[in-house]
Parts: sequence; structure tokens; C-alpha cells
Amino acid sequence: MIGRYELLGALFPPLFFLFIVFPLVVLALNLTPQGLAQALGDPYFWSATFNTILCAVAAAVMGVVIAVGFGYYHLFKRDSVIYRVADFLNDLPIALPHTVAGLALLLAFGRRYFWWLGENGLAFTLVAVTLAMLFVSYPLAARAVQAGLEEVGRDLVEVARTLGDSPAQAYARVVIPALREALLGGFLLGFSRSLSEFAAVIMFGGNLPGRTQVLASYVFTRVEAGDLEAAVAASVFCMVLSLVMVALTRSLTGAGGLRRAQG
Amino acid sequence: MLKVENVHFSYGDRPVLRGVSLSVEPGEVRVIFGPNGSGKSTLLRVVAGILRPDRGRIVIDGEDVTDRPPEDRRVGYVPQRPTLFPHLTVRGNITYSLRNGRGDPDRLDELVKLLGLEEHLDRRPDELSGGYQSRVALARALFSDPRVLLLDEPLSDVDPAAKRDLVRRFREVLDRAGVPTLYVTHDPWEAECVGDSYTVLLGGRAVDVDTVDEAIERLKRGAGLGEGA
Repeated sequence: MIGRYELLGALFPPLFFLFIVFPLVVLALNLTPQGLAQALGDPYFWSATFNTILCAVAAAVMGVVIAVGFGYYHLFKRDSVIYRVADFLNDLPIALPHTVAGLALLLAFGRRYFWWLGENGLAFTLVAVTLAMLFVSYPLAARAVQAGLEEVGRDLVEVARTLGDSPAQAYARVVIPALREALLGGFLLGFSRSLSEFAAVIMFGGNLPGRTQVLASYVFTRVEAGDLEAAVAASVFCMVLSLVMVALTRSLTGAGGLRRAQG
Repeated sequence: MLKVENVHFSYGDRPVLRGVSLSVEPGEVRVIFGPNGSGKSTLLRVVAGILRPDRGRIVIDGEDVTDRPPEDRRVGYVPQRPTLFPHLTVRGNITYSLRNGRGDPDRLDELVKLLGLEEHLDRRPDELSGGYQSRVALARALFSDPRVLLLDEPLSDVDPAAKRDLVRRFREVLDRAGVPTLYVTHDPWEAECVGDSYTVLLGGRAVDVDTVDEAIERLKRGAGLGEGA
């Protein structure tokens, strides 16, 4: 007989498999050769794949660069208003509906303020897609750096400073190299999160086949057009890409590193 | 010469150092004793410039450095854990201060030989035992040509067998360096071997004593300073 304390443990396998694994398995089981051929023969599928990877890499790199700057504030300027605001807002993109994020980006970087860049400002371009991905993925990079800094410890900086480094020199010469694992984890997490982004991308970057369409919006378009088989094929492709990224992140940074960055 | 004059320091509302004064001559190794939380590490961090005292002065070679940041004090600091730079080799760690124009490249061989690091120069810190990491940390601090040396339990990660040899080596290296040294340890034997003079830190106040036995007696009594630690 299962005691009430064992109940949670006993419930985990069926609940996990029902709600997390089962949908993925069903998706994979719905893959057909026809759907696969249809998707792989569609030039828009390949342009969406290219756009997704290009913009996700750019967003992840930008996210890490900004996160490195945030790390400097975390280490040396924790009492500053800038740090407190940044630390608070780091969690906002996670809580904010991504349609809202997309609309905010559209208003900020659209024709109202960036009319001089074109009819729609930055909106409906690959730059817009990248910025939308950056907005939602940056917090993961920032948290990865923050978690990494907790592990590196202040001792390294203090010793470097007694050896003649200014705070900025100590950060660049000692802390950033020691954060390699956290930075890599931040990049991979940011890239993975960018791959999956849909709402903010479609609001700000649009869903223009061959131009700003990404894999997530390609799947949406195929479903809307009633082309379920191609949608499933593209979805399985996305799933495999995501699984590869997760596996890569875990193997390069260790499962612990991934959890730290996410936590 | 190092002079610590009436230094006060608090973490928030909790006073840790309450008017600590001491002086260390060139070549002298002053051992600091005290129970956990008595402010030994805090004192070293104040002298290094990592923490700023609420009151009092730090004077090195007649110069008031109280308001100077750590990079402008020329202080060699070895924190409790050896804290080597993980991405650099032993050689890179020891000669790190050259990036800031400190240290003499010609001194590397001498220091490496004195501390028995010849075979390890191209190794990374994670390939070294605790004892060798401590040697590298001391070599790095000394290579930077410091005016004062601050060693915070530098041998706490070293097993007792290796410690015997290391303590002797450390004493020899410190003799040659000839700089004023503050050396924190809990180990009476280690203190006896490396120390020239002794200070007990209790309840945020410092009292100079003549021998290790007297220091231990003070620590046991605790109330010798009129209050609990």
C-alpha cells in the first residue's frame, strides 16, 4: 500500500508521461513520408529554417554580450539603481505575454521612431525577428551569468585587484574566462529559447514566407492552410533540433550547469 | 613597515573590528590568532583595501593608504582558499602581475625553485594538490613585489604530512622576501614555526602576546579582554 508521502513519487511517472512525453510521441507518430517530402521540397521551409537558425544565433550572441555587461554590474555595482532595475526586469520577459512583448517592440522600433529606416522602421525584417528573439531569450543568458558568478566567487576578483587590476580589468582578465561554461550555457539556452519563439516574432517580425518566416510560424501557417502533414514534418524537425540543442547544452555544461542557468 | 591604527569595521550593525592597532616591521611575520568570526579575515581584507574601515588608518611604509583601492596598495594577498586563476597555468598565475607592470621576470626562477614548483609550471590549477595550490598562491603574491604580505590560513587545505615540509619552505621564502607579513592560522605548531610575533583577536580587539602558549591561554580564557568573543 502506498503511503501519502509516497503518493507524489508514485504519481510522477504517469503524469509526466501523459502530459509531457505523450504529446511528443504522438507528434512523431503522425510523421508521414508524404508530409516529410512535402516539407523538405518546400523552399519556404528551408528559408524558414535558415531564418530561424540565423536569427537565433544572432539573438543568443547579443544576449550573452548584454549578460556579460549585466554580470559586471552584479559583481561591482550591486547597489546601483541600474543594477536593481535590470535585475528586476530580467524576469519580466518570462512573465510577460509574448504578444505584449512583440507589440512593445513594434511600437518602439516600428515606423513611429524608426521611420527613417524604411516604411515600417525595423518591423517585418530579420532584424525585427532577431530583436524579438533577444527580448525573450536574454533573461536566460543573464541568469546563467549570474549563477556562474556565484560559483566563481569574489575571491578571484579580490586577488586580481591586489595584483594591480582595476575592477574592469579583473572582470575581463579573470572573471570572464572563468565564466566560460556559464557563457556557453547562456548562449545555448538563449539559442534554444529563440528557436521556440513564436508570438513576439510574429507580432514584430511578421510571418512573411521567404522573408521573415521562421520555423515556428511556418508550422502555424501550414496548420492554418490545412496542410497538417507538412506541419507535422516541420514540427518533428523543430523537435529534433531542440532535442539536439538540449543534449548539446547538457553535455557541454553538465546537467547541473543547465539547471543553474535556468534557476 | 605596516601600521594598523585604531581600525574599526562593521558589517551593517555588527561591529567586527573595534579599534584594532598593530604594527609589523619589515621581515617580521606576525601571526594573528582568534576564534572563528573574530575578524581575522576581515582585518586582512581591510589592510588589502578590499574592505574600507569605518574609522582608523592603514599606513604602509609611512604612507597612509586608507583611501586607496587594492590595486594601488601593492599588497600581496593569499585568501583562505588558494584561489588560483583557473584558466591560467601555474606560470601564468605566478606572473599575472606583469600585466600591470609589477614584478621582475628574473625572480620567477628563484621563487619557483624555493617553493618546489619546477615540475608544475605548465600545469593548470585543477591538476594540483591543495599544497601545491598554496605554494602557487604564495609565489604569485610574492612575485608582484608587495610592500606587505597578507596570508589568510594559507595552509588550511594542506594535509598534515605535507604541511611539515611546506611550513619550513614558507618560512624560508618569507625570510628572503623581507616584507611585513600578517599570517592568520589556527594551528599552534604552524604559528610557532612561521611566526616572529603574535596577536590575539578577540571581541574585535587586538592584544599582542609574547608566545603561542600565551595566545592559546588568552583564547581559552576569552574573558581576558573583558568580554566574550
